Amino acid sequence: MATITPPTTSAGRPAAGTTTSPGARRRRRKSGRALVGQIATIAGAVALVSFSVFPLLWMFITSVKPDSEILTSAPVLWPSSWQWSRYGEVIDRGFGDALVNSLIVTLTVTLLGIVVAAFAGYAFARTHVPLKRWLLLVVLATQMFPVVVMIIPLFTVMRSLGLLDNLVGLVVSYLSFTTPLAIWILRGFFRGIPVDVEEAAWVDGATRFQAMWRVVMPMAGPGIAAAAIFVFIAAWNEFLFALTFVKDEARQTLPVALQSFVGRASTDYGGIMAFSVLFTLPVVIFFLFLHTRLTDGMVAGAVKG
Amino acid sequence: MTATSVSPGRSWRQRFDTRILPVVLVTPAMVLITGLIGWPILRTLWLSFREAGLRSLTTGESDFVGLSNYAEALSDPHLRRVVLVTLVFGLLCVVGTMTLGMAAALLLNRPFPGRVFVTLAVLLPWAMPRVAAATVWKWMFNDRYGFVNWSLSNLGLDFDGYAWFVSPLPAFFAIGVVVVWQSFPFVAISLLAGLQSIPDDVIDAARIDGASAWQRLRHVTMPMLKPVLLVLIVLSTIWDFKVFDQVFVMTGGGPARSTEVLSIATYREAFTQLDFGLGSALAMLMFAILAVVTVIYIRLIKEEEEL
Repeated sequence: MATITPPTTSAGRPAAGTTTSPGARRRRRKSGRALVGQIATIAGAVALVSFSVFPLLWMFITSVKPDSEILTSAPVLWPSSWQWSRYGEVIDRGFGDALVNSLIVTLTVTLLGIVVAAFAGYAFARTHVPLKRWLLLVVLATQMFPVVVMIIPLFTVMRSLGLLDNLVGLVVSYLSFTTPLAIWILRGFFRGIPVDVEEAAWVDGATRFQAMWRVVMPMAGPGIAAAAIFVFIAAWNEFLFALTFVKDEARQTLPVALQSFVGRASTDYGGIMAFSVLFTLPVVIFFLFLHTRLTDGMVAGAVKG
Repeated sequence: MTATSVSPGRSWRQRFDTRILPVVLVTPAMVLITGLIGWPILRTLWLSFREAGLRSLTTGESDFVGLSNYAEALSDPHLRRVVLVTLVFGLLCVVGTMTLGMAAALLLNRPFPGRVFVTLAVLLPWAMPRVAAATVWKWMFNDRYGFVNWSLSNLGLDFDGYAWFVSPLPAFFAIGVVVVWQSFPFVAISLLAGLQSIPDDVIDAARIDGASAWQRLRHVTMPMLKPVLLVLIVLSTIWDFKVFDQVFVMTGGGPARSTEVLSIATYREAFTQLDFGLGSALAMLMFAILAVVTVIYIRLIKEEEEL
């Protein structure tokens, strides 16, 4: 394919000097069209970037504007002075406490979920689990189920166990949607690791578990990190369970705390946006960090929440 | 070590490694999934045939009422409207997400300066927590100080002080914008990966044969993307039908319950009205709709994932 020279090289056909040949005219028209195409592409890209990024930018700008420049009918596009103090205030007005709750819940869920999912993911990728096909279908299908379907029975159980207004209740309920997600991602990564390395360990006398633990798991490190980040993000963003199971403001996690902050602060949009920035920031950083892995088996992995 | 001294130990170990270990490894995950998803769904199904109100929360008692919760869900004019609205809103969101995602993917598949930066920028809406995104967009849709009304007014439209959240149609439009804004990046990135996997010579061959850009898209690119497209349509359907956070944050289902979708109505019947039976029936309706879509999804990806 690469050896075929394009038919329109000027060297092959010396221009006769007189009038422009039809070929040259077509070339010129074509390059004109290419230019229009390029301009249209760049215009489209600018529109796309504006649509994608502007709300985030506007959130940030609103959060650092002086109060007098927020409630204006013609928006002030660039703040005259930067009001960073709002971030400190927001942390004292509920963000700080909710952050601690969120970190406790998300880190525990991530740790437990990844351990459980790594074992299951390995078994599904490498061993003959009885009923494997069916179990995998269950894992895949349960990722799709809406939380609303599970929430009423879980609520009554949490209530009778005294786990309402308790972070333990959130951790347990979050494992329901994070475990299948992590199993699916990890199974994909384990399948990508060559069987030979594991077989070499067996030959050296390692048991299957030892080979898994000492050889396969370290090799799957990047995959485990990616799965952990996805679980972290899913738990960090979860709203419905947190809204239903935790009413006590001192125990709220960030999504619900943001919602009650909006209720308390009413028109303090600067504060609301500062809260949103702080809530969004960790996820965006993780996401940019992960972006090269985003499409690896993700269509099937259904990583959205 | 002689062969005879090793073989009994090894055979036991082999049996453990091939038969028992896999089951041991899978068990914790399966216990979690059964206990936290399987059991609750069966229990919701059971509750949906019962009259379970506040009393049943304290006493644990409830009465069997047959299909009356379902009958109420399907005969109550408000709840019937909710089902219809959920279907229409969900479908429109899927159409919006797929269209925008496809356009973005085709754009990102063309060479232009700064393409990597644009691809990263497109990912950002997806990264944003849903509650934060809905909060920010609600501020942008603010009637008096919002950026959206100001921009539309500057374009010569009469949107000065336009209130988006006092009647259902504009409110659903605003919610739909947020849903699409957060959903299209996933579609765009997945389709981009699909586009990049199409060999260049296939497209070049069509070009040499004189196919126009539109014909190449319609008759070469689209058919080759079809498997990915189908999966994405099904996934978007699943996600857009269970939307909760964005609606809850932007309108809370109001004004006067006019922007309720199924998930919001379920939550409201169960946890505001404390009618767990009716709430469960609504949840099962949603589950039934999504189960059908999920089966389609699994059929689509079965071969690719070697299930």
